[in-house]
Order: sequence, then C-alpha cells, then structure tokens
Amino acid sequence: MIGRHPSENVRVVASLGMPFILVFGVYVIAHGHYGPGGGFAGGVILAVGIVLARLTTAPELLERAVPPIAAVISMIVGMGVFLAVAIIPLVFGGELLDYAAIEGTGLTDSRLRYLGIMVVEFAVGAVVFGGILSIFDRLASQVKQ
Amino acid sequence: MIWQLDLLLLVLLTACAVIAVVVRSMIATVAVLAAFSLLVALLFAGMGAPDVAFVEAVLGSAFVGVLLLIAVLATGDRPAGRDRRAAWIAGPLVAVFAVLLLVASVDLPDRGDPNAPAAVGVATQYVERSLADSETPNVVTAILADYRSMDTLGETLVVFTAALAAALILRRRTP
Repeated sequence: MIGRHPSENVRVVASLGMPFILVFGVYVIAHGHYGPGGGFAGGVILAVGIVLARLTTAPELLERAVPPIAAVISMIVGMGVFLAVAIIPLVFGGELLDYAAIEGTGLTDSRLRYLGIMVVEFAVGAVVFGGILSIFDRLASQVKQ
Repeated sequence: MIWQLDLLLLVLLTACAVIAVVVRSMIATVAVLAAFSLLVALLFAGMGAPDVAFVEAVLGSAFVGVLLLIAVLATGDRPAGRDRRAAWIAGPLVAVFAVLLLVASVDLPDRGDPNAPAAVGVATQYVERSLADSETPNVVTAILADYRSMDTLGETLVVFTAALAAALILRRRTP
C-alpha cells in the first residue's frame, strides 16, 4: 500500500526495530502476571509492529508473511479460545469462567487459575491484534497508491 | 505524584491542545495529537497506573495516529473552513461544560486517599487474596482475567464485533 518510501533510512530503521517490537508484544502478554500489561496492551503492540512493517516494507514481501486474512483468522481463533475457556468449567459443574472447577489435571486450584488467566490473556491479545490489523488493512486499501 | 511534573504536564497538554486546533496542516494536527496522547500516558504513569499508561501510549499515540494519518491521506491535507457562527455556539457550551467539570472535581477524593470509595470494599479483598487465589502478583491482571473475567469477556466480544463490523463496512465501499 503506502510502502514506497523514498527514504532508505526510514525503511532500514523500521525493519530493524520491527522484530523487537513483536518480541516485546509477546513479552507484554506473557508477563502480564508479574508486571504491567496483558492481552490488550500486548495485542496492540503486536499489531503496531505489523503496521510499521506494512507502512515501510515492500507490500508483496509482507503480504506473503502476514496476509490480511491472517488478522481475521487470529481474531476468530482468539474469540473461540476465550469462549471455550469460559464454557469448559460448566462441563465440570462449575460456574462460567471458573477455571478452578476443571478436574482431572492434578493441579492445585490456584495453579489452574494462573493458567486460565494466561490462556485468557493470549486469547484477548489475539482478538485485539486481529481486530486492529484488519481495520488498518481495510482502511489502507482505500488510500490510492 | 510529583506536583512539579503534574504542572509541567498540564502546561504541555494545554499547549498541545491549542496547537492541534490552531495549526493549519492536518498532518501536523495528527502529530500534535499523538504527542498529546503520549503526555497523557505519562500522567497515568505518574498516578501509578502503568497498565493504563501502556495502552494509552500504544493505542492512543501510535495506532490512532496511524489511523488519522491514513484518513488525512485518503481525504487530502486541507483544513476545513472556519465557521464563525459555530464558534459562537460552541464557545459558551465548552465554557459551561468546563465549569461543570471543575465544580464536580471538588467532590473527588484525593489521589491515594485510603478512604476513597474505590479503595474500600471489595478492592481490599482482591489485593489481599490475588496471590493466594491465582499465584498472580499483578492484582490488575488477576482482576481483569479472573475475578472480573466476565467483564473482560464482554469487552473482548465488543472489540471482536466492532472490528468485524468496521472491516465489513470499509470493505463494501471499495468498488
């Protein structure tokens, strides 16, 4: 789309920084138990990393690595995982979203809650990442080359 | 909170708001608004809310900036003509609203007040029990994804639906 920047400097700096932004996004999601951040913030960071690449790298390269349909798939998978985590405790007779009600894992209640939080954070991250990226892709496709 | 920092942020935020309105180029307006969001993120960090500051810096500054930039690129970098009559209506309205906000702010509890309504009641239970209940030292995460996970489920559904609707609407406009 807008990927024909005349400045080589912008392109080099952006492509050097982009991987670090992506790793930081995953870190923010995974480290939500111990520090600031979580699914929402991490998902936005991941999306912004891809948006930076969309703005600066050659479109035909990036379309193969992260096709626009990947954003929609990520959104749907994230929502499905969240809903599944919400509903699974009901099968074991617990309440909606009560992760500790899941039986047969041999883990303590607090450990189950810990893992449930982690799954939910990644699901929220996937939804936010996909949502933001798909809005950006649709908007950007309206701009003339 | 450090009052010198707060004062500096107040001055800078006001300056950003004025510049964003006065400046002639739309792209410059977008840049100043991004700076505004970054300063607000600093304000949140100063209040001890790093989680909110995080989202404000990334979403408000980086992503909304990009979105507005695309909107400017799609519609052209020319500011709208100023309507004098609109200013006569909007001016008093904004002034009245500012006075209302200032009057209401008198009743707000002080920052960090242990007797504030938000700091008593169920909040103390969350702070005391989150580590034992879910092995999660960050209380904010424990509240968002465990104690109040129903709210998060609703929020995520809203984000999902909104993104889907926005993507579909924007798609139909391309011939």
